[in-house]
Amino acid sequence: MTQKPSHRVDPHLVIEKYDPEAELMLMHFGPQHPSTHGVFRMDLFLDGEIIVKAVPHCGYLHRAVEKLCEKLAYVQITPIVDKNDYVAPMTNEQSLVMIFEAMLKLEVPRRARWIRTIFAELQRIASHLLWLGTFSLDLGGALGGGTTVFMYCFRERELILDLFEEVTGARFHYNTHTIGGNRHDLPKGWSQKVLAAMDTIAQRIPEYEAMTTQNRIFQQRTRGVGVLDGELALELGITGPILRASGIDHDLRRDAPFHAYDEVKVNVKTAEGGDCLARAEVRVEEMKESVRLVREMVGAVPEGPINSGKPVKLPVQTKIPVGQTYVGIETPRGELGGWLVADGTQFPYRLKIRPPSLHAVSALPYLLPGQTVSDAIAILGSLDPIMGEVDR
Amino acid sequence: MGHFIDAFKAFASVAKSFLRPPTTVQFPDVIRPRAERYRASFALLHEENGDEACIGCLQCERICPSKVISIKGPAKRDSPITGKKRSYADDFTLDLTACIFCELCVQVCPTDAIVMTREQETPSYSREELVLTMTKLYANEKNKTRAWGDGTKLMEMQAIPKPPVPLSPTGERAGGEGKAAVPAPAPGPAAPAPAAAAAAPEAKADSPLTPTLSPAGEREKLP
Repeated sequence: MTQKPSHRVDPHLVIEKYDPEAELMLMHFGPQHPSTHGVFRMDLFLDGEIIVKAVPHCGYLHRAVEKLCEKLAYVQITPIVDKNDYVAPMTNEQSLVMIFEAMLKLEVPRRARWIRTIFAELQRIASHLLWLGTFSLDLGGALGGGTTVFMYCFRERELILDLFEEVTGARFHYNTHTIGGNRHDLPKGWSQKVLAAMDTIAQRIPEYEAMTTQNRIFQQRTRGVGVLDGELALELGITGPILRASGIDHDLRRDAPFHAYDEVKVNVKTAEGGDCLARAEVRVEEMKESVRLVREMVGAVPEGPINSGKPVKLPVQTKIPVGQTYVGIETPRGELGGWLVADGTQFPYRLKIRPPSLHAVSALPYLLPGQTVSDAIAILGSLDPIMGEVDR
Repeated sequence: MGHFIDAFKAFASVAKSFLRPPTTVQFPDVIRPRAERYRASFALLHEENGDEACIGCLQCERICPSKVISIKGPAKRDSPITGKKRSYADDFTLDLTACIFCELCVQVCPTDAIVMTREQETPSYSREELVLTMTKLYANEKNKTRAWGDGTKLMEMQAIPKPPVPLSPTGERAGGEGKAAVPAPAPGPAAPAPAAAAAAPEAKADSPLTPTLSPAGEREKLP
């Protein structure tokens, strides 16, 4: 292991040793602060306006999902994990059912895998749109910020939620995946609507870019703020767009293909710099890439069944043999994985969920010291943590 | 200077949106049409002859992840319509306050008795109104618009077309799609193997799909 870079800040700084002369102020950031994207609290030790030490506190949204999963049968867990990452519920379900399918050695039909891929990419667009809107809302003030971009992004996100509603019947908590396949088949004429929505979004992404990432005001607000070097990101287990913005070319869609990603080519977008601007650029580029993937795939969904077997009627009918496994997939926020220990009954013995947002939040003690409080909001927003996923 | 150019570009984006028609509607006056499969509330249905469709088999109560359904029964009674002895649910309560709208109860219903409705407006002024008793659920059959799904349709959507079986009356339907029912091997998520399409026919015999295929005669009941 290489030596730690000397410029890296010490997250465990002892405040008494900092500077006895300085009068540090302890500021509680959150949990009600609107820019914490949920209920997240940080203790910020301030020297003037400069942050000296940041201590994040998680757990305000803890709902004991993992413990609840031990009391539910396998077929009942899918709608529960929708609520973990409430900005991208589709990928939550997918990661969960893929663990069970790996344990049962079930083959998912090709049509179901293609539908899952399209769902995942649509969900990525929707999640990044919501992130771009709320990030602009966090920055505020400048032309690229304020509620303007927020409202525009939500307008386009509605198009995708409408598409999901048409297939699954729900706008958010879909429960459209089941062990071995999907529950809902695509309705007739759905692909034309997807293409129309993709045309709209592809046309409007350049408008957002003009208001955000290509806008000089936005750039000055975010360039060089919260620089995360790739080595530290790897040490902290950070994945997804944050890691790619730090120059590490890692994407499970290409490196360990799941669903139907082995049949399409995924161009992984990376950026150098590792600052808030790089993270924003990577996410905007990923949206364009997802639009391209959806356009390519939606017309070519193969025919066939969407489920590998008859759906079960009773929870006791799905029993997973003794064993354990880990499956991780690439979600809009990074690698969302699950580790399952099965004991042969219809209930999991232990289900550990590895959320990407938890690792993103763990970078805050490294990123915040030396920055101002106003930049803390930009940094927290650029990490895109979803508290429902961090605390579970 | 560059700031002004960027500001004008951003203004141009805003101006484009300004000229577009509004995407929002005035809610109480205009209600956007909901999708056909939209799931909002519940209804219990009657059979064609006017008898209650629910047989009180408790399958929805067992599969409900949040345990909001409670059924008393099943009780054997004489049907008031046909006079034959059949089972009924004595009482059926669905607590909408804790429901997560996962549609699993609709999927497992063997008689298509419980369905979801697609009226968007479910809020009420008191919690008691959200506890759907049997009376309310049967009233919803007439008061509300049914969503698309019921047990038969959802099961049929996920069913695998039967592999060709000789002497089967539905052989001609399953003939073409039977081969498509065997999927290409899924890549292992942890250690992805290249999808070997040639391995598919060999995997057919001991595939995990085989025991879960619908038994013969299952398909004939479906339209």
